[in-house]
Amino acid sequence: MEQPVTAEDRPDRRGGSPDAFAVLARARRLGSAGLGRLLGWQLVRTALRLAAAASMAVPFGKLIMEQPFGGSLLTALAISVPGAAVAGLMADRAQARTETEVSTALRNDAIGRLQAMPAGRLRALAAGSVTVGLQRHPEAVAGLVIGHRAASLMMAIGPLMAAVALAVVSWQAALLVLVLTPVMILFFALVGETIRSRADAQEKAFSHLAGQFADRIRTLPTILANDALAVEEAKLAGRLDAYTAKTMGVLRIAFINAGLIDFFASLSIAMLAVFLGLGHLGLATIPGFSGLELWQSLFILMIAPDYFAPFRRFSEQYHAKAEGLAASAALDHLLDAEPAPAPALPAVERALSKMTMPPSGLLVISGPSGAGKSTLLRRLAGIEAGPTPSPWTMPQGCVWVATDSFVATGTLAEAIGNNGLDAPCPTRLRAAAASVGLLDDALLPGGLAARIGEGGANLSGGQRLRIALARALVSQRTVIADEPTAKLDPATADAVRRALLDMANSRLVIVASHDPELIALADRRIALDATASLEEAA
Amino acid sequence: MRDNAATRGAAARKLWRYAGALAAAALLCGVLLGGLSAWFLGSVAIAGLTSAAYSFNVHIPGALVRLFAVGRTAARYGERLTGHHAALADQTTHRVGLFEAMAAAPTVRGAGWQLADQARLADYLDDVEDLDFARLRADLPALLLAAGLIGALIATAFVAPLALIPIIALLCALGAMAQQLARAGATSWAQTRLLRRQAAQQFGAALTSAVPLQAEQAWAGRCADALGRFSQAEEAQRALRLAQAGLDALASLLGPVAGVSIFAAAWFAGARGEALLIPAFLAFSWVALAETAQGPSRMVVAALRRRAAKAEIERWIGTATQPAHSPTRSPAGLTALHTSMQRRAPDGRPLGARLTLALTAGRPTILTGASGVGKTSLLKQIAGWIGQDSMESETGPLSAEDRRRMAMFCPHDAAILTDTVRANLFATALPDEELWQALEAVELADRIDAAGGLDGWIAQDMLSLGEAQRLNLARAWLSTKPLILLDEPTEHLRADQGQRILARLVERLDDRIVVMSSHNATGLPDAATIRL
Repeated sequence: MEQPVTAEDRPDRRGGSPDAFAVLARARRLGSAGLGRLLGWQLVRTALRLAAAASMAVPFGKLIMEQPFGGSLLTALAISVPGAAVAGLMADRAQARTETEVSTALRNDAIGRLQAMPAGRLRALAAGSVTVGLQRHPEAVAGLVIGHRAASLMMAIGPLMAAVALAVVSWQAALLVLVLTPVMILFFALVGETIRSRADAQEKAFSHLAGQFADRIRTLPTILANDALAVEEAKLAGRLDAYTAKTMGVLRIAFINAGLIDFFASLSIAMLAVFLGLGHLGLATIPGFSGLELWQSLFILMIAPDYFAPFRRFSEQYHAKAEGLAASAALDHLLDAEPAPAPALPAVERALSKMTMPPSGLLVISGPSGAGKSTLLRRLAGIEAGPTPSPWTMPQGCVWVATDSFVATGTLAEAIGNNGLDAPCPTRLRAAAASVGLLDDALLPGGLAARIGEGGANLSGGQRLRIALARALVSQRTVIADEPTAKLDPATADAVRRALLDMANSRLVIVASHDPELIALADRRIALDATASLEEAA
Repeated sequence: MRDNAATRGAAARKLWRYAGALAAAALLCGVLLGGLSAWFLGSVAIAGLTSAAYSFNVHIPGALVRLFAVGRTAARYGERLTGHHAALADQTTHRVGLFEAMAAAPTVRGAGWQLADQARLADYLDDVEDLDFARLRADLPALLLAAGLIGALIATAFVAPLALIPIIALLCALGAMAQQLARAGATSWAQTRLLRRQAAQQFGAALTSAVPLQAEQAWAGRCADALGRFSQAEEAQRALRLAQAGLDALASLLGPVAGVSIFAAAWFAGARGEALLIPAFLAFSWVALAETAQGPSRMVVAALRRRAAKAEIERWIGTATQPAHSPTRSPAGLTALHTSMQRRAPDGRPLGARLTLALTAGRPTILTGASGVGKTSLLKQIAGWIGQDSMESETGPLSAEDRRRMAMFCPHDAAILTDTVRANLFATALPDEELWQALEAVELADRIDAAGGLDGWIAQDMLSLGEAQRLNLARAWLSTKPLILLDEPTEHLRADQGQRILARLVERLDDRIVVMSSHNATGLPDAATIRL
């Protein structure tokens, strides 16, 4: 799937355009089938749980009252109890599966965006935030559109199913729990408002305390460098204590939410038990609660908690919503943010409009820093769009030689031989590595077998550059080099110049440099400066 | 410090005791509420058939039902609150201890601080959180569940002993399944973590090389390859969730199985009518107990995540045993250092021939050389951050440990603390005028003034690289250490500005030993230059 990205492929994205990444809508679309399956299983589980409760309450009640009961009840019990467990298992599995599918699909879409992103925008991204974003955000969004959504839908349906089951025995009992619900919701609204305002106020007051531990771990070497460990440790302890105190202030209110559900669930059981008890004794005639059989009142007692269970499950999802919304906003921001427009460099445009590309030779682009040498290289490589079209399309790719060249993990030989199609012979590999001084590098011991860490983490910029150069030597591709001799010691710089010159005999070598010795060796020079650009043949 | 930690520890222990007591009370109330309600309904239903209805005392059971209902609500609220309070108190103790242990770890002073990376830091914080809250998520509920089960089993042994057979069989199956989940889950979790780490590393490496990779038309492949590992990690995590679902489904059978077994056992033992009321009490207690034990897989997962987190954090800390900070010695009297030493790479490998160094106060030493030649490593070696070399001073030999206390090492990528400007200057004892003087010297006074002065809060992302570097140089300006080591002090600064600031800084530090690395000429007239 390695396709060159051209300017035409790149969709133009503006806020609200149909092309916007729109994580939430995308995730809902991706998850709709799975969400349906999940809801289906949850409904089956709820129905079977109610059936199981009923098929336990009836025989229990009848046994105590020494009444006969049919064997079909036992059959119902034998089916509904394991059935509810299986339906619960299927629901959990459906949720895990759908959330994974949605999150993987979201991530793949996001990867697609990153693959098509021009280098200019990629360079503006912070690796850490993209990594955190692509690991965690799709999961959080999937949790919101699947888990949280299912819980909120079940909060609408589950209690109704329980109320219907209650109504079969006593519609008045069903009415009682239904009447309790608006009261509970009213309390929710009141408490919810208080929580929000308290939390907002707290957030403002102590936002700087959150994340202090993370910050001090991140900055630990700086703290040690300034011999400030004791001071910072004491300060950290004080701030964590303060943070605990403030957090407890918020939790004290936040837990009222869960407490309310507990309270109403307990209250309904207590009220029902007492009403039903009085009804059995015949001491009070409460319509719907008198003249019931024991199995009927046990049935009511067992079903009532199921009425409140969906509320509890939903309130446990409180974090999922906040996290999911934050994640979707962050992901949208990451993938839709408009890049800052690249500064116009007239010198680059002028150079491009006049340029002709020879099939081989050393072409050196020079000029002061900021004149646009690197921009011109990117334009020539076809990875950055601009007003003037590139005079040239690169034949069969290139090798890019710079201090930020990519080095594959493995041995030095593998890194140099890593060229896609070509498989160079060992002698050529060795010669290439030797000619840029990689075999006698004290900092990379082991010759061709030297280990390259993950992503070349153990390499300096100079080593990366020389490995890329060796890779260029063993291939036949066009070479583009960005400041190949800067920051190198004189002997190595000389070896690099010779290698570039050597390759220029058989192919085109384009170099951006302000190294006078290298400029002197050029077959063709392009001098960029702020006012004029001239091309001269050597 | 230690006293604070001790009082905090004592307070946390007390909170845990409260949380445990409240949780036990909530569990007891919930279980009794279920059992008593059923017993009450059965009793009144039987009494209602006869004239006993008029003499039945409904007030006591009615009051108890209400008491348990309110008690359960209140105790649960208290349990949540004290449990979180205890966990947060533990968290403070634990994090302060961890901060100290991390500071003593050799990796902090070695090459490249990995936790400066946002993704690594986020994973690290997940681990710390898994450790912080495992007690609340796994230990406390497991302990309560065990206590509840033991109580219910004992009661069952008296009331309906035959029912123990199916109940214990189911509990054994649950135990076996939980163990299996713990084992298989640990493997899945380890795999998840490994894949995530690989994804982050590979993507970071690819993004750094985005321009070369795009030019070579290899970006799309590398990008998909690296980030695809996050999805593989999620697949591994899904395996864990599926295993969890199995355990939870089996656990949902506990209530019905126990209830039905107790009724059946009592009935087969000959209990009829009123004699079934006590079994009914027990059966409904089991149902209530099983309700509170829903989702036991969460405890198993919290426990296995704690194990993984512990292993990872121990890896970070390494085998550091020495305390990270000891009382600072008076820095006075160090004006010359000399040695002949073997240069070393951050991983301890020797570099090049032995190097003779003679450093004197008032004459800055500049280390130059190509990129990757080991300038930073030599600075760290002089600072005592890597290696165990001894250096001679006029007052005798100084070990690496001694020099660490005498040196101010100013790394080229020094971080900005999320804190006030004052705290960021690390010179709490100095008056404001001196701090402002330092900010003037590094040409940052106007910027800081506009951002809220010395007590305004700043963060890494509020400052540009150049501004962060200048603040870093202000720290060196204010330092009282006799040995000042500056790594690439003019990096990220405009050439002329860098020259000006560095000249002022060297003049200010003319009674100190100053060593700096630089890959370009610094234009300091009196400096001694060592080419590596």
